[in-house]
Formats: sequence, C-alpha cells, structure tokens
Amino acid sequence: MSISLGGVPAAAELPDVLPPRSERGRAMRFVLRYPTIVAGGSLLAIMVFIAIFAPWLGTRNPESISPIHRLLNPGAGHWFGTDMLGRDVYSRVLYGSRVSLGVGFSVAILASAIGMTIGVVSGFVRWLDMVLMRIMDGLMAIPGILLAIALMALTRGSVYNVVIAITIPQVPTVARLVRGVVLSLREQPFVEAAVASGTRLPKIMYKHIVPNTMAPLTVQATYICASAMVIEAILSFIGAGTPPTIPSWGNIMAEGRALWQIKPYIVFFPAVFLSITVLAVNLLGDGLRDALDPRLAKRL
Amino acid sequence: MLTYILRRVAATIPVMGLVALFVFSLLYIAPGDPAAIIAGDQATTQQIAHIRATLGLDKPFVIRFADWLWQVLHGNLGTSIFTNLPVLKMIEQRAPTTISLMVITLVMSIAIAVPMGVLAAWKAGTWVDRLIMVMAVMGFSVPVFVVGYLLAYTFALKLPWFPVQGYEPLSHGVWPWLRSLILPSLTLGGIYIALIARITRATMLEVLSQDYIRTARAKGVGRRAILYVHALKNAAVPIVTIIGIGFAALIGGAVVTESVFALPGVGRLTVDAILQRDYPVIQGVVLIFSFVYVLVNLVVDLLYTLFDPRIRY
Repeated sequence: MSISLGGVPAAAELPDVLPPRSERGRAMRFVLRYPTIVAGGSLLAIMVFIAIFAPWLGTRNPESISPIHRLLNPGAGHWFGTDMLGRDVYSRVLYGSRVSLGVGFSVAILASAIGMTIGVVSGFVRWLDMVLMRIMDGLMAIPGILLAIALMALTRGSVYNVVIAITIPQVPTVARLVRGVVLSLREQPFVEAAVASGTRLPKIMYKHIVPNTMAPLTVQATYICASAMVIEAILSFIGAGTPPTIPSWGNIMAEGRALWQIKPYIVFFPAVFLSITVLAVNLLGDGLRDALDPRLAKRL
Repeated sequence: MLTYILRRVAATIPVMGLVALFVFSLLYIAPGDPAAIIAGDQATTQQIAHIRATLGLDKPFVIRFADWLWQVLHGNLGTSIFTNLPVLKMIEQRAPTTISLMVITLVMSIAIAVPMGVLAAWKAGTWVDRLIMVMAVMGFSVPVFVVGYLLAYTFALKLPWFPVQGYEPLSHGVWPWLRSLILPSLTLGGIYIALIARITRATMLEVLSQDYIRTARAKGVGRRAILYVHALKNAAVPIVTIIGIGFAALIGGAVVTESVFALPGVGRLTVDAILQRDYPVIQGVVLIFSFVYVLVNLVVDLLYTLFDPRIRY
C-alpha cells in the first residue's frame, strides 16, 4: 500500500524492495565468501569428533597386544592392519588424535595467554620492556624445535611436559605480536581519551587494549596450534616426546619406522591423519586472517 | 655503512650471551649429578665430593657460568658423557654432512620457490596461482618425516633412482654425493619452499601494482625483464628476510631428515644425544645451531643494503 503526499508518491515499503534474507542464503554466502574457513573448520570438526568419540567408532583397546595377529595387512578385521605387537592400527590412530589435538589446542591457548601477558606488560611498562624483549630475543635465537628437544631432554616424557616444552619456544612470537599491537594502540585517540578521562590502567588494558589484540592473536594461535601438532609428532618420532605407552601419531610412526620398507601402512595412516589435521588448522588460520584482517590478507 | 655493520655485529653479542645463559641453565638444571656419574657406582660420598670440588661443581651458579663461558669462548664445549670425546670434535666430524644437506636444500629451495612465487603473482587469481598456493599450504602442513618417507618410498623403493638411506661424502665424487642428498634435500626443503613461495608471491603482487611497473610495461619492456629485472629486485628484501627466519625450520628439519635418511650429521648426533641423555652434547649442539642461526640472520641484515641501495644506515 502506498500513500501519496501532495501528489508526490512515497517510496514503496521496504519489504517490497528488499526481500528478507533467508537463513539458507546467509549460510551459502558465508561458504562462498570464506571457503577456507568452512573447509578447514569442517575438517577440524571431523577430527575433533573422532577424538571425542574414538571409543565408539568401532575401535578396540589400542593397548591390547595380540602376537598371533601381528603385522596383518589392512583388511576387514583390522581396517588399518596391525603393528608388530598385534595392536590394531586403526584404534591406535583414532585414539592418537586425542593426543595431537589436545597438545595442539593446549599449546595454542597457553602460548597465547603467556605471550599476551608479556606483550601487554612490555607494551605499557617501559623499563620492563627492555628486559622482557631481550629475553624474548634470546629465546627466539634458539631454533624452536631444538629448544623443545632440549627441554624434553631435561624431563621425563609426559604429555604435560611435551605441552610445556612446545609452548616455551612459541611464546616470543606472540609476545612480540601483542607488543606491536599495544604500542600502536597506545597512540590511538580512544586510548588517549580513556587516559584523559581518568580511567585506571588495568581497566584500559582489559577494556580497550586486550579486545583489540584478539583478531591478530586468534590468527596467530591457529598457526601455533598447527605447528604444535607437527612438533609433537616430531618429538615423539625421535623418541623425545609423548611416552611410548600412549598412542600418539608420532609414536605410532616411530614404532612403524623399523618396518616401513615392508609394512608402510603403519607409518602411512597416522601420517595421513596428521597431515590432514594440520592442513585443516592452517586453512582455518588462512581463512581467519583473510576475514579478520583484510589489510594483511591483501598483502599475504 | 661501516659503523652500521659494526653496530649490527655488536648487537648480536648480547643475544648470543643470552643464548649461552639459557643453554648453560639447561645443563645446570639437568637431572643427575655429573660427579656421581663420573665417580661410578662404587664411589663413596667423599670421593664424589672430591670430584665435585675438582670439577668446580660446588661453586655458585654465576661463577660456574663464567667458567663455562670462558671455556666455550676458547673452543671447549666439554666432553661427551658417553664417548668421552670432546663435543666440538664430535660436531666437527658430522658437520660436513649437515652443511652439504643445508646448502643443497637452500639452493634448491630458492631455485624452486622464487620462480613459483613469481609465476603465482603474475598469474594472480587464475588456477595456476591457486594451484601453487594450495601446494604451498600443503608444504606447510605435511610434516617433514612424512614427506621423507613418501619420497623414499616412491623414488628409492618403488623406483630405484636414489639410495634409500646413507650418505656419500664429496670425496667419493660429486654425483654420488649429490645423489645421496637429493631426496633428503627435497624432504627438508618442503616447508622452506612453501614459506619462500608465499612471501615471494605476496611481495611481487605489491611491487607489480607500482607505477614504475606500469611505466615499464607501457614503454614495451618484455614480460621476463619486468618480472626478473624490475619487480623481483624490488621484492628482494622481504624474500631474503624470510630465507633468514625460515632457517630455523631448516635446522629443526635437519634433525628429523637425518634420522629418516640415516645421514651421519649433526642432527642425527642430536637425536642420539637425547636418547642417551648426553647433556654436554645436547648443550653443544643447541649452542652451535643457535650461533649459526644468529649468524645467518646477521648476514641477511647486511644483505639488505646490497639488494636495496635505498636502505642507508
């Protein structure tokens, strides 16, 4: 229905011009706009599903040894075959996802939290900045995997120690990133305004500074998650990681190493799972970077 | 310029000092009493105490660190607990393998990655670009040892083109040497190629949108000349930077690659030392590798002026 005012026809009512966006259309647009987020996210979701529901996905006890059934090729009874102790590789690989994803997520969260704290503090406290950044420089000068290996050599192999050993080399990158963002934020008018209106420092930090570091930090955290999973596998692979009693992808591959020329599937299946998971997280990271930081996305 | 070089070289000294402090702390907090290990199972408490005193293990942290640093500066990295050989000697013996591996990887990666990145930038948005970038993400994601086994399975086991494992020193001839290192270098280069290709594409895209490229095109300069003379030269600084930073991945990857292909290098030495908990060797290797890493990045920094004369110090 249209009303005319003094001969001038009024504009048609909005619904006639723009049909409301349907839910399905919105979902489709998201998929089309950020294909990497969707692809990486779904792959990762599948892996998380596998990790959580491993006991109900047709697995048997990943530890149970059965020498009669050792080194069976992949087939009906054992989808991924069995290893030299007769353990079911399919079950071990599925349970292994728990270690990899657990380590990946824990390292990402821990490194972000610690790096964020160091970054915010050194961005605001000038005299501490000197000290903290020099320590970060020193840590960064040691190649990450090497530092993790050296730290693991000091402790007993346990998942907890693996997480710590992988986290420490990752902290400096986060700290530097956050510090850079904080330094540029400090000069922004809204922070100046907050200072001028007498807001206290802790409140400025968590109200104005921290939320603005979240976008680049999230992207960085996904990349850290991906590299943490790779480093965990490398540590386990060379015998300095997760204890051999726990099935992790690195461990399964380390055990399959001696036989890889005749029974390549023992190495093959965990390798495929690891590669797909890391790829998923990296795709997610690339997609998030494009979505959250268009300026950077144009450059990279 | 000279003052800049001197200042830049001087700036690496505190960094190396910090690295040394970290590395020393590793040994300091390492479990196990070296004196007890040296004394053996039958030793009495007095004997252990005596050995501890002669080795200076009863002195405070700062003094022990100073002593150790003094020794390191004189080329003494300590003695291996297991082989009783000087750590520096053990590293020296294995260095040629690792240096060969790294040099070949470096040359090969740059030779593959830079043209890949340039091509992707030139064909930006087309399927060629997409394909190259997908390959780059894969290179990031597939772990070093997975690539290693895949290559070894295909090109050494199924197709007997290369040896499955082992290393031939350069003294046995150039071809056998190169042949034993091609698969390991491809393995090690995976991440590196991905890194360099991505940065090359990104910087080239930026450079190609500059006015002087349009000018060059307008005056009829050929495609090849535009890409490699005008554009790549201006994109060199970020590419060289990533080559320096990525060197850390190369060092970490060497540890794994040498294990997969049974190359008797420093990486293999690291793995053995960790399995045996040979702390002086671990310490020495971490120190040397970090030193090399800092040095590589120093060289990269100094190269900036060579690639971009606009950078003045």
